[in-house]
Amino acid sequence: MLKEKQRNFILNNLKNGLFNGFSVILLMVKVIVPCYIIIELVKHFGVIRVIGDFFKPFMKYFGLPGEAAISIIAGYTINLYAAIAVLSPLNLSTKDVTIVALILGISHSLSVETPVTQKTGVSSWMLFCLRILLSLLAGAGLNLIWTLF
Amino acid sequence: MDIILAALKNSAILTGQLLLIILPLTISYEFLKHRQQTLEEKKWKIFGISSNGLVPLVTGVIIGLTYGAGVIIHSIRSSNMDKREAFLIMLFLSICHAIIEDTLIFVVIGANGIILVVTRFFLAFIFTYFAYRWLFFKKSR
Repeated sequence: MLKEKQRNFILNNLKNGLFNGFSVILLMVKVIVPCYIIIELVKHFGVIRVIGDFFKPFMKYFGLPGEAAISIIAGYTINLYAAIAVLSPLNLSTKDVTIVALILGISHSLSVETPVTQKTGVSSWMLFCLRILLSLLAGAGLNLIWTLF
Repeated sequence: MDIILAALKNSAILTGQLLLIILPLTISYEFLKHRQQTLEEKKWKIFGISSNGLVPLVTGVIIGLTYGAGVIIHSIRSSNMDKREAFLIMLFLSICHAIIEDTLIFVVIGANGIILVVTRFFLAFIFTYFAYRWLFFKKSR
């Protein structure tokens, strides 16, 4: 009896976990493939230089190349998978990827996560602004520390 | 045409790598969700966050805001906690959440995972501590 219950418990968890995992993967494929293709095309036709040069003055505070701005914007507005799809073809160094990851780790998929914070009853505007501000500060700070040591 | 094919192949590889990380995680999250009761019994208080806040806090740090949303919203609302305490929890969580998944998917493309985890925890503790000092000791001074 007890064993039966335990087995059902484990099987149920496995089933739900697999189901959740595959729905994440579906979402990932929908985002990653188009983003990857777009960024490769942009790279091929040299448009990336224009975008990179445009963002260069802002990104120099984070020690990042201008192209990384595309990834950060994708992460803020869409989700982390989009950011990774953009970041992967750029072939950045470990330092650059870590800084982008820290910035995006603190604030990402704001369109999904801001409503969650709102539902808990906490002022979501304040958290929204705090997250963006903090992520940029953390990125700049990590860049500073990394270049010092 | 070659570029598109290469992009398709590379994005498939990237998706495959992420799949290997995500599937075990989503399965273990299901098992973790049933461990809530053990957390609720612990008596613990730090930075103005009491044992009531431990469930949403741990859920958020491990599972993240998107998948843990149900648990977080429910446990914060049902325990009638102080607004300030809820704010502190959400502040901590907004800096430091989904610590396993977020870190691993960036490690796949070459980030340094240890630096990421340590910095996020450090920042979360610092900011929660100062927010706690500011919110709870404002009147006594």
